[in-house]
Amino acid sequence: MNDGPLIVQSDKTLLLEIDHPKAADCRRAIAPFAELERAPEHVHTYRVTPLGLWNARAAGHDAEQVVDALVTYSRYPVPHALLVDVADTMGRYGRLQLSKHPTHGLVLTTTDRPVLEEVLRSKKIVPLVGARVDPDTVVVHPSERGQIKQVLLKLGWPAEDFAGYVDGEAHPIDLDENGWQLRPYQAQAVEGFWHGGSGVVVLPCGAGKTLVGAAAMAHAKSTTLILVTNTVSARQWKHELVKRTSLTEDEIGEYSGTKKEIRPVTIATYQVMTTKRKGVYAHLELFDARNWGLVVYDEVHLLPAPVFKFTADLQARRRLGLTATLVREDGREGDVFSLIGPKRFDAPWKEIEAQGYIAPADCCEVRVTLTDSERLAYATAEPEERYRFCATTATKRRVVEALVRKHEKDQTLIIGQYIDQLDELGEVLDAPVIKGETSNAQREKLFDAFRNKEISVLVVSKVANFSIDLPEATVAIQVSGTFGSRQEEAQRLGRVLRPKADGHAAHFYSVVARDTVDQDFAAHRQRFLAEQGYAYRIIDADDVL
Amino acid sequence: MTVPTVPRPRESIAATVTATVVRGCGPAYERTPSSALPTNLGRMTTQQGPQRQGRTSAGPRTLAEELRARPDDAIAALLRSRPDLLNPVPGDLTQLSARLSSRASALRALERLDRFTLQVAEALATCPDGTGLATVRTLLTGPSKVKPHPGATPLTPADRSAVAAALPRAVATLRDRALLWGPDNGLRLVLAVREALAPTAANPGRTGLGPTLAEATTGMSPARLQQLLASAGQPATPDPVTAVAALTALLSDRARCAALLDTAPEPALRLLDRLVWGPPTGTVPDATRPVTAEDAQSPVEWLLARGLLLPTSPGSVVLPRELALHLRGGRTHRTVEPLQPEPAPAAPPRDPQAVDSAAAGQAHTAVKTVEELLEAWGLTPPPTLRAGGLGVRDLKRAAQTLETTEQQAAFWLELAYTAGLLAPDGEADECWAPTPGYDSWLQLDTAERWSVLARAWLAATRVPALTGTPDGKGKPRAALGPELDRTLAPSVRRAALALLAELPPGTPATAEELLPTLRWQRPLRGGPTGPDGRELRDDLTTWTLAEAELLGITGRGALAAPARALLTAESDPAEVLAPLLPQPLDHVILQPDLTAIAPGPLLTPLAQALALCADIESKGGATVYRFTPTSVRRALDAGRTAADLQTFLDRHSRTPVPQPLSYLIDDVARRHGILRVGAASSYLRCDDPALLNEVLADRRAADLRLRLLAPTVLASQAAPDVLLAALRTMGYAPAAESAEGDVLITRPDSHRTPPRTAPTPVPDGPPVPDDTLLAAAVKAIRAGDRAATASRREPTPDPRQLPRTAAAETLAALQTAVLLGERMWIGYLNAEGIASQRIIDPVKVEGGFVTAFDHHADELRTFALHRITGVAELDE
Repeated sequence: MNDGPLIVQSDKTLLLEIDHPKAADCRRAIAPFAELERAPEHVHTYRVTPLGLWNARAAGHDAEQVVDALVTYSRYPVPHALLVDVADTMGRYGRLQLSKHPTHGLVLTTTDRPVLEEVLRSKKIVPLVGARVDPDTVVVHPSERGQIKQVLLKLGWPAEDFAGYVDGEAHPIDLDENGWQLRPYQAQAVEGFWHGGSGVVVLPCGAGKTLVGAAAMAHAKSTTLILVTNTVSARQWKHELVKRTSLTEDEIGEYSGTKKEIRPVTIATYQVMTTKRKGVYAHLELFDARNWGLVVYDEVHLLPAPVFKFTADLQARRRLGLTATLVREDGREGDVFSLIGPKRFDAPWKEIEAQGYIAPADCCEVRVTLTDSERLAYATAEPEERYRFCATTATKRRVVEALVRKHEKDQTLIIGQYIDQLDELGEVLDAPVIKGETSNAQREKLFDAFRNKEISVLVVSKVANFSIDLPEATVAIQVSGTFGSRQEEAQRLGRVLRPKADGHAAHFYSVVARDTVDQDFAAHRQRFLAEQGYAYRIIDADDVL
Repeated sequence: MTVPTVPRPRESIAATVTATVVRGCGPAYERTPSSALPTNLGRMTTQQGPQRQGRTSAGPRTLAEELRARPDDAIAALLRSRPDLLNPVPGDLTQLSARLSSRASALRALERLDRFTLQVAEALATCPDGTGLATVRTLLTGPSKVKPHPGATPLTPADRSAVAAALPRAVATLRDRALLWGPDNGLRLVLAVREALAPTAANPGRTGLGPTLAEATTGMSPARLQQLLASAGQPATPDPVTAVAALTALLSDRARCAALLDTAPEPALRLLDRLVWGPPTGTVPDATRPVTAEDAQSPVEWLLARGLLLPTSPGSVVLPRELALHLRGGRTHRTVEPLQPEPAPAAPPRDPQAVDSAAAGQAHTAVKTVEELLEAWGLTPPPTLRAGGLGVRDLKRAAQTLETTEQQAAFWLELAYTAGLLAPDGEADECWAPTPGYDSWLQLDTAERWSVLARAWLAATRVPALTGTPDGKGKPRAALGPELDRTLAPSVRRAALALLAELPPGTPATAEELLPTLRWQRPLRGGPTGPDGRELRDDLTTWTLAEAELLGITGRGALAAPARALLTAESDPAEVLAPLLPQPLDHVILQPDLTAIAPGPLLTPLAQALALCADIESKGGATVYRFTPTSVRRALDAGRTAADLQTFLDRHSRTPVPQPLSYLIDDVARRHGILRVGAASSYLRCDDPALLNEVLADRRAADLRLRLLAPTVLASQAAPDVLLAALRTMGYAPAAESAEGDVLITRPDSHRTPPRTAPTPVPDGPPVPDDTLLAAAVKAIRAGDRAATASRREPTPDPRQLPRTAAAETLAALQTAVLLGERMWIGYLNAEGIASQRIIDPVKVEGGFVTAFDHHADELRTFALHRITGVAELDE
């Protein structure tokens, strides 16, 4: 029995005791192939999944290294079956390769003929391939490069893509490192991405994903298409790019509901891309509008299904995915892997927080007890109305008021799901409300005022979940959410994690009605953050009032 | 109508004949009449075998005699290697020699020979009795000066000396097991062995040789023999015996034979080449036609004319053994394998310590898995199938419980079953349940528990991997079912593990690497071959290694120290294993995400207490528990209080109890038990609390077992009508209430049955019979009467007494009679128990049956040996 920090479980989770002297070495050894699933205080949980193992293969690690890491650091003997399984799974990656053939164009080749035979027998593969060139090679229709990768992954034989990328239309872009510098992890992330060709960079909210994008563009020095979640975020990208790179306002176009500019660097929203007119996607030509050399996907975990479909056709272009979490509520992690690319860089939140790049946060769940009449009304509410009822209960308002009072010197965001509730809170607190119907100009104006500390409290709906850069927000109070969405919780916490000028901690309050579904949803929402090492305290509303 | 008397016994004999054919061990050992050769029975007095090398006068004349000369420990060794001879213990050495010459016993002994020893026996079987050691060596390697056939594996001088070195050992083995006797210059195979191994046209065996020329020409007309001689360019001889001898001499003489073949046309040589390594038979039309050298047209005819191919039937020909040996360059085997191939594992040796610890980890898992399974089945025992075994659904459920595959679940089930920890309970609705043996097993410590499982596994004939495979009828075999026993399993298991044990410590090996050696060790014990061409042994070896890994016999493919102790029995495997197992812990790590992690196996009381208040999320080296409101409520339901839980966690946690966890426990405890549920038979309510108190205080109400639930409600264990009556006797005027709270007005209700039909009248006797019935009855009575009064013929008793002899004597006498072609007089009891006497000419004795020409029936019949009451020789 060796005295390692790692315990391997039969369900392929790895438990890492972080107080152990060898924990840091062990983490480095297992990080390439195991996904960090939970990172609470003492024992972190990693999971070994086929995707993770293939990610590791894509990054150049082999099964021997993985087995060695497990055996070296494991406290107890590692079940042989698991080791065999690891070697087996990793062996599946790269048996099939997509490459450019000098005469036949895009071809699928194999190093193991039976595998090719097996996949060619699949009904889903047949329409994607052409003639058999030789026993080990088959022609693939160039337009199906993404599709075939997707299908092969589903069949359990992920293909390695050596077909290369088109360079795209060259366009000079440089980082303008004046008074700031790329942080080491950002540089590493860009390096990892560029080396791998395409892929996903996972960084916590507030860790400067935009800069990773900008640096990747500076690497590519070609025309770039950036896909973002919404218009506000598009503006912020533009702002940031102008500030941090050699690009000027005129070189950056915005392609959204209101403007349809196509420039060397174009920022488009998912919404406009997925707008259908008469049953067809009207703005698809954007992808072909220029010879893009790089496509950047912001918030990959939110990528809508149609965008996956377009992305399948973009396999010859370099693709960079940016996200805070690969967790997708719809479970389409496999599509991200096959269409955008393997994970190229990943840093746990707590590690970046420890380096001082994101603010430490104090998470607190405030439990509100409903009044007797509210309880009765809740018990009799229709099931589909129940969450709305308990989430918007009037009792919460008093707690929010108290919290705002407590942090009156701080810049405070109040985030919620239900507009009525937000309007009411806005009225009571005398604070402006930003919601879906607020015009973009108005939003920008309010955000600016908030940044300049002209207003200290801002009430926002879910439009502000993503990519709104409000560095000075230090307190967030969440009153309701999209049921149990884990990534929403993470995004909202991200709003207050930008490092503060004076380095003090951020506060994140979640106001929850006790003994209701609100409490259950809150528990589910908090899981991602609790697993990322953010310990929630639970306090009673009476302690606040 | 008369009953035919003859066909019945005839049918029964016919049935036994069929049975014999089925029972025979297949064509491989089918005996041909031509191979009748001198025997070695103690009872035999005549020795007629060719004795070319001249025996020393001191040599034993029979096997029994030789056995008699062997020391006691040699006899003991013989009995140890052939334990079937001991059942029952033979009376004397003659009996022993008769028994070990029996076909079944000899075949059993042959199955347990290694490949080289078997090759030696096979080479011996191709030449007549009395052959010397030197001849056998030459047959195996070929004469050194002769160029071997291109189809044979060429031998280096080293190979030749290896054969020479291994030969004495092989002969010694054969002799020790009494498959062979006689001195080194006059070796004799036991008759049954010769019969089994001597090549014939129908069964060339592993040598691929045919019958000798003498055997193949049996029954050929003298004229035809002379024709063959003439065509081969040989002078005529006076009689058939000398003709056969002359032809044999021609083929056996290397130079003359080569000269004859030189004259052969090219196609004829190519034809011979196709038959040379066997099978030695070919089909040709009209093989028996008497072609001569002059009128031979085709290559086949050229060969047939000269006796180089001999007809076996009108449609087929055979290559005589002498010619085949000549063509092969004097070798009986294409490849001779004097040395056991040593497994050469491709994988590099692992650190023996890593191997031991991996195996120990798995051993721990094995013990825990069996415990977990049986604990679950103790609570909800699954039913047994009517045909025995476990239903597919229950197997699936077991696999779910263990979080493993069904195949592995089947293994754990069989393991528990084999170790006697699990059995059907024998109730009317039979279930699988843990045995009392399981309870005593639980008392042992982990290492001892493992050694119980490992020992049971090592000796088990159960093969769990067969679960789900189709049986003879195409139905899947059930886990724990009756069709999973394979007698071959324990020997293959031991042999495979023994090979692993011989490798340097820490060396892993795969089934493919072990199998060549296993096949060499026991070439005849491969078990049946499946449709995929794999022998049962191939599969058993693969399964053995997989199961050994699961059970912790091996670690990462190499044999671990505890298993080594288990195999050698030199030390107690439990003692070897114990220090390798992880020590149980008394603490857990509590985390703010409401999980508790036990970083190793926990002390049993702690594990039980934790399992009560938290759900197990993942298992393995460690255990991850998760606290949920439900799990905490479960603990509270089991009688724990919030304070209990807090102190319990505080005491066993290495870290401070996280705030969300304490909050969770308090939060659940706060709501626990606020709503109370109970059962009452009736209630009593009243708006006036004082009146209720009065009722409650009344001593007469004690029987009603009233309880005050609220100031205005009393609950009672008495039924509403009893309560009403009691209250009325106490002088109150209660009203009954319906479920909706309305006052119930009761009025006596008259009772009704469900719909009924009126009874039918009961008559005082049976109905009057009609005429048809009466006529039939009279007819039947008359017929019975006639049968009873008819006069009967007495059978004429047989004046002669049945011969009576002891069973062993009968067997020996019949075997002798077969050899000498003697006529015997036997007493026989048929299937109905009727005794008869017959004069028979025995043809063969085999598998408990005598095939003989029956002079009474004037046909070939089969007699069951055990029905033969005795034998006597006939005076001619």
